[in-house]
Amino acid sequence: MAVMTMERSSARSILPAAFRNAGVDALAMIAALVLAALAIYLFGNAAMQRVVTYAAIMLTAVLGLQIFSGNTGIVSFGHAAFVGLGAYATGILTMPAALQRTALRDLPQFLAGHEMSFFAALTVVLVLAMLIGLITGMPLFRLSGSSASIATLALLIIVYTLLVAGREITRGSQPFYGVPREVGLWTAVAVAALAIVAARLFRETSFGLAARAAADDERGAAAVGVDHRVARLAAWVLGAVAAAAAGAMMAQFLGAFSPKDFYFDFGFTMLAMLIVGGMTSSLGAFAGVVVTVLVVEVVRRFEGGGVILGLQMPVLFGLTQGVLAVAMILVIWRRPTGLFGDHELNLLRRPGMTKGNPVKLAADAAPARAEGGPISVEKLSRRYAGVVAVDDVTLTFQPDSITGIIGPNGAGKTTLLNMIAGDVTPSSGTVSVGVPARPASAFRFARAGIARTFQNIRVFPRMTVLENVVVAAREVEPGLAAAEAAARHELARMGLEAFADRPAASLAYGQRRRLEVARALALKPRFLLLDEPAAGMNAVETAELVSILAAVRSERHIGVILIEHDMRLVMNLCERIVVVDRGRVIADGTPAEVQNNPAVVAAYLGSRTARARQGNDVQ
Amino acid sequence: MIAQQIINAVSLGGVYALLALGLAIVFSIVGLINFAHGELMTLTGYVLLAALIAGVPFPAAVLLAVICAAVAAVAMERIAFRPMRGASVTSLLLTSFAVSGLLKVIFQNGVSARPQAVAIPSWMTGAFSIGDFTIGVGPTISIVVSILALIALEFFLRRTVTGTAMRAAAEDFDVVRLMGIPANRIIATAFLLSGLLAGLAAMLWVASRASVDPLMGFTPVLKAFIAAVVGGLGSLPGAVAGGFLLGVIEVLLQATLPAAIAPYRDAIVLSGVIAVLLIRPQGLIPAVRVQRS
Repeated sequence: MAVMTMERSSARSILPAAFRNAGVDALAMIAALVLAALAIYLFGNAAMQRVVTYAAIMLTAVLGLQIFSGNTGIVSFGHAAFVGLGAYATGILTMPAALQRTALRDLPQFLAGHEMSFFAALTVVLVLAMLIGLITGMPLFRLSGSSASIATLALLIIVYTLLVAGREITRGSQPFYGVPREVGLWTAVAVAALAIVAARLFRETSFGLAARAAADDERGAAAVGVDHRVARLAAWVLGAVAAAAAGAMMAQFLGAFSPKDFYFDFGFTMLAMLIVGGMTSSLGAFAGVVVTVLVVEVVRRFEGGGVILGLQMPVLFGLTQGVLAVAMILVIWRRPTGLFGDHELNLLRRPGMTKGNPVKLAADAAPARAEGGPISVEKLSRRYAGVVAVDDVTLTFQPDSITGIIGPNGAGKTTLLNMIAGDVTPSSGTVSVGVPARPASAFRFARAGIARTFQNIRVFPRMTVLENVVVAAREVEPGLAAAEAAARHELARMGLEAFADRPAASLAYGQRRRLEVARALALKPRFLLLDEPAAGMNAVETAELVSILAAVRSERHIGVILIEHDMRLVMNLCERIVVVDRGRVIADGTPAEVQNNPAVVAAYLGSRTARARQGNDVQ
Repeated sequence: MIAQQIINAVSLGGVYALLALGLAIVFSIVGLINFAHGELMTLTGYVLLAALIAGVPFPAAVLLAVICAAVAAVAMERIAFRPMRGASVTSLLLTSFAVSGLLKVIFQNGVSARPQAVAIPSWMTGAFSIGDFTIGVGPTISIVVSILALIALEFFLRRTVTGTAMRAAAEDFDVVRLMGIPANRIIATAFLLSGLLAGLAAMLWVASRASVDPLMGFTPVLKAFIAAVVGGLGSLPGAVAGGFLLGVIEVLLQATLPAAIAPYRDAIVLSGVIAVLLIRPQGLIPAVRVQRS
């Protein structure tokens, strides 16, 4: 008995809690899909079976879109193009050779006469989609936000143009016909089930976490070592593969199609389905497809006109598109996160399901990271259009010490800190972080052991408190399970373990500040940069923060550099104080030295008061 | 022949520039990429058609149509986008996408899904000669109108209080509001201007095609999006530069590509666009935006 428990608990720690939870969610959605399919298979007619098959194919496509847009926050119009590419590729690969000779006379030799089975063609299509995803994704994600959205639109137009222009291969804008119709209900359900698993698990992987973090706050994400381009590329490629799989099925489901079937209207339908359900979760994609397919099935009956309830209805063009548009507008207005909100099922995290493993907080075992040198800053300057924010600063910061940077407002403290964190590119001069790292790259500096917090807190509001820290821990821990354990440890350290599964947005101000510190510590940094950590905190919270920082410093021997206006905090905590004014270092020494430095007094109180005080001293 | 091609290129570029500018003005102020911009064009076309059928003289009909576009743009902001004020860029983008889809359906059912012929006065479709060159009247008008509109806009933005406030709002809306300038007025003006520009562009577009259909605005506005991104999203000089660049490249490729490759023109142009963005991710003339720590 005891042995069994041990085995079970070790199996648990190998499979991270996030994956277990995601796996159960995925199984629940698959069960719902299979049950629906079974009911229709047993009791429904052929037309109903077609509707469910269509729904399963659309589900695969929309999940592909969700994997990308839901995790990265970038709306994509380009996934319709991947569905189209998948459809045409499958069409060409599976077409009977005899038919191909008449329908596509000018088909290049290497494409002709393959007559593959559906699954063989699907494999080829998926590999193709992966390649095209990589090729298109790499340039695309140098852009961010709206520009990236428009670039996906450009991709859709490019693919459409190629499909129309490549007549020898696609028959141009004429219908492509003669594709064997082998995809039925169960094939579609099976592929959709795989897509559900992929979409639900992806958001918990390090790529998914990183993409979601960057979507919530790009600078905050870079500060914990997230390379958002790689994360976006991964989401793009996986999303493209799912969309192409949907396309492959669509080809064999329809039998005949033309490029305009995979153009703007199709992209619109996909997006509407996703938005109605909720963009940020696979549950949203699932629910959105179910709801919209049902609505469209009802509306379709009215499109042709006729007499309904004794009323003569006119023939209405594009009624389904209109209804989808209205549904989308209503959802965005009334429930911006979609009908099913922005959360997953989280079956294992329902109340009563969490066991709250108590985290032991004995000796703080988290070791400092591999050795590295001090941070040294040489002749560092930064100019913003005429303003010199930081002017020729040369400083060295040792690990295992606490340094305070003080100075009047606008002195250049934050700019200096941002340059040390790699977030701002120096106009001249160099920053060395003790280990080799590419200059002025926030995420590389973070990975090199420079963690930071921000003046205006930058936590990831839509992720849970635990996920916020896991994102950072994932950069230094070998696996997700280890990252989860490390993250729970840091949360316990900051007294936040009770909130682990709550969204970070729901935390109070002081708690968010502590979360940001926990997240920074999860990087196992050699240096911790804090930008006004006590800003907006009351005396009790400040005292708590001071004791935590002092403990962290003595246990982990990391270098702390903090900007602060609370003089009592600075004088109590710091061993060394650097005073900055108008971009220059005007004093550097122990708290006692700095307090008596006339230049510092002048900077803070104005030069006349300083002279007066000096005069008094002489007398 | 070459002169004619250059004129065509510049006139097409002018239309793209007007559209891209309208998109950029709205984007710079409210962060909205207005997908329904194309439907403003379509609406303008239909108003012109209706006015001409009702017997309104051509210049009055054009004026009426352009004014309608401006009013429609402001109404669109009031009805669809104001409730969304402060929402994320993604929500705004999707709202405009849905509004665009809805308007298309309304046009298809309310008017007709088929193209309707517009009676363009014959003098506009003619040509005149300077020396050995024969130059079309339509493209010439198009160029003149585009340039005049750009000059007028530049004057408005530089010399009026509202214009100055708008330029400031593009860089930092919060500070402009703190200066006591009402946000609603700035936003309404931005939409009014974008509507005017869309109306003018629609007139030039209709004049060269002599018909209107429900999807009329789709293609040019799609191109204008691309132009705005190439120029630097939210940057007004960038939008104009991007528009002209795209127009010129399209016409030149159309004229020089061999027949076998010509159908691939759009794909080639857009691949070029993406190549430009690889080198300059912020666009040719990036927009200035404040950043706070």
